[in-house]
Amino acid sequence: MGTFIQLVIDGLSTGSIYAALALAIVLVNQATGLVNFAQGGMAVLSAYIAWWLAGLGVPLILAILITVVVSFFLGALIERYLMRRFERGDPDTAVVVTIGLLTLITGLCGWLWTYNNQQFASLFSLNTIQIAGASISVRSVGTIVVIVVMMVLLQAMFLGTKLGLALRAVAVNPQSAAFSGLPVGRLLMVGWGLSAVLGAVAGSLVAPQLSLTPGMMDTALVYALAAVILGGISSPIGVVIAAWLIGVLENLAAVYVSFIGYDLKVAVPFILIFVVLIVRPQGLFGRKSVVRV
Amino acid sequence: MRRTTRKAAGIVAMASVLALALAGCSRGGGGDDGDGTAAASSPGITDTTLTLGITTPLSGATAGPGTCTVAGIKAYFGAKNADGGVKFGDGKTRKVEIKALDDGYDPQKAKANYDQLKDSVFAMTAGLGTPTNRAWREAAISDKVPQVLVMTGDPIFSNKDDSPWQLGFVPTYMNEGEAFGKLLADSGEDHKVVILSQNDDYGEGYVSGFKDGIKGASNIQVVKELTYEATDTSVDAQITELASTKADVIFNAMSITPLAIAALQKAQQLNWKPSWFLPSNTSSPGAILGPGKASAFPGVYSVAFSQSASAPGFADSDEGAKFLSELKEYADYKDTPAFPHCIWSYQVGAVLDQVFQKMTSPTRDDFMKELRSISDYVAPFMLEGTSVNTTEDGQPAVSTVVVQKYNGKGYDTVEKFG
Repeated sequence: MGTFIQLVIDGLSTGSIYAALALAIVLVNQATGLVNFAQGGMAVLSAYIAWWLAGLGVPLILAILITVVVSFFLGALIERYLMRRFERGDPDTAVVVTIGLLTLITGLCGWLWTYNNQQFASLFSLNTIQIAGASISVRSVGTIVVIVVMMVLLQAMFLGTKLGLALRAVAVNPQSAAFSGLPVGRLLMVGWGLSAVLGAVAGSLVAPQLSLTPGMMDTALVYALAAVILGGISSPIGVVIAAWLIGVLENLAAVYVSFIGYDLKVAVPFILIFVVLIVRPQGLFGRKSVVRV
Repeated sequence: MRRTTRKAAGIVAMASVLALALAGCSRGGGGDDGDGTAAASSPGITDTTLTLGITTPLSGATAGPGTCTVAGIKAYFGAKNADGGVKFGDGKTRKVEIKALDDGYDPQKAKANYDQLKDSVFAMTAGLGTPTNRAWREAAISDKVPQVLVMTGDPIFSNKDDSPWQLGFVPTYMNEGEAFGKLLADSGEDHKVVILSQNDDYGEGYVSGFKDGIKGASNIQVVKELTYEATDTSVDAQITELASTKADVIFNAMSITPLAIAALQKAQQLNWKPSWFLPSNTSSPGAILGPGKASAFPGVYSVAFSQSASAPGFADSDEGAKFLSELKEYADYKDTPAFPHCIWSYQVGAVLDQVFQKMTSPTRDDFMKELRSISDYVAPFMLEGTSVNTTEDGQPAVSTVVVQKYNGKGYDTVEKFG
């Protein structure tokens, strides 16, 4: 029983890493209608900035806060000077641009800070608490709590604030939004800025665990995209639950389903997606997209 | 998705390689020497220079060790060149130049790099990676290009029948695994062992070597074996499952730095304190054991054949200080290397130097002949009890290792377990 609980908790903790990235992807998608493949790279860049500041002697929590602010402006600048040029055109082009951006940022981090593993100090201690025969590290709990807080804030923002509504309006129909007096350009910048902020938080949370390298988020990004599809791209709560589900099911399947084992567990989330999408094409928690004719 | 971009880059690279190759062909054979008495010299060697080629990961997850495989040999020959060059067995003094290309640990790219280099270099050497070196092994055999002293523990490179133009440098995975298995078997105490290994040749090699080492030892019981994929982001579940066996030894055949750190941390969180065995390339005191807080365990063992540059006292020794300053000056490597590969590739330079001194004709054939005739050469920074020996078929240039135990800062050589 102890092992079972341990596996579930470990899964939630790994899932939280995917969730952090998935939330940022949802945010950009809700604000701009795009899937941003560069999200992982942006999170890594932010983590490097925080690590660099901490290396200069800035206290870790302050370094992360400064990075969050810097990331907001970086995200906004990327939107204003890079993505803006592609937003009017074919959405596929814009997506490909984000893939290019991912490669570019990864290369940039490698060039600036080498590809060596850097040690990023953890915000939370590595101590553990014993619950029902399972050891839960303070870091896992901390990560999970931060993700839940971010998820609630995002959900509240989209559903309950004018900013959230305006962001969604711009994403759904930029032209009508502009006609009704919304500052479309500035809203798009805010959307990208906020998603970079989420990325900065995600990067700082997971860097101690994955150890900081330019490619740190590459695998996590694949899982995050899986969570986004599974949970429904319009629902922050949905993607977080989906990410947790992926983390937990992967662990349990590896240990308890003998023919899957650790070799095939990577396939579990994708089989799950396949099944869910046949039954609910909009994802577990997503809204059906309706187009007015 | 990144694979698509990579593929595109690959196509561009291939196209340029083709263009280069065509340009090369049109210039005709070349390389014949004027008087026609001596054997025609091979490509990549003149009376004043010799060029070596390297393909190794300089970007991506394995770039840390990969960068080191270039830096060490550049430092070695940089210093030699500054002193005038290497005196060859044919009486000529040549400067040794190095052309290194990035393969990002991608086999396809490694093959393309090889194709790009093969006509302009005398020999390929020092590159890191099993799949990447395997990608052009057969091409090197049919082109008769030496692929020697490469950094892979795959035994295929050291088998003369399979690989006439190859020779591995570092001990095979089996050599390492076996050394630890023997140490454990000879302890005379009962031990319960669990194994976590990477699901590929690397992990399998370690495990099979380890099992050879404990063969017939009734005091050693392997209670559980699990694997992980090199692309996994976490091995928490595996460590949890292994911890539940309450084994007192874990054999962790892992090649991924972040996962090695995470595994050490996870075991501590579960309050499971076995003794660890870590392979030579994931046992760096600075990069892995320190962050993983390895002093919490009763013992962390690894095998080695060379000193560690990040061990305390290294930089203070004359030899160490000279190495670090050469690394800075000739290879533009400013930090103290956290990976052993910098020293390994420096040793590759030293071994090649020995071969060059014996070479009486400037040909790849003679080079291979002399390469296979080195015995008991103690390269710089080798530990007592280890040496370079290329005369034994089926073994890499270095096949002897000593077992070491972590002392909180660096490693001490140990004779027995416990």
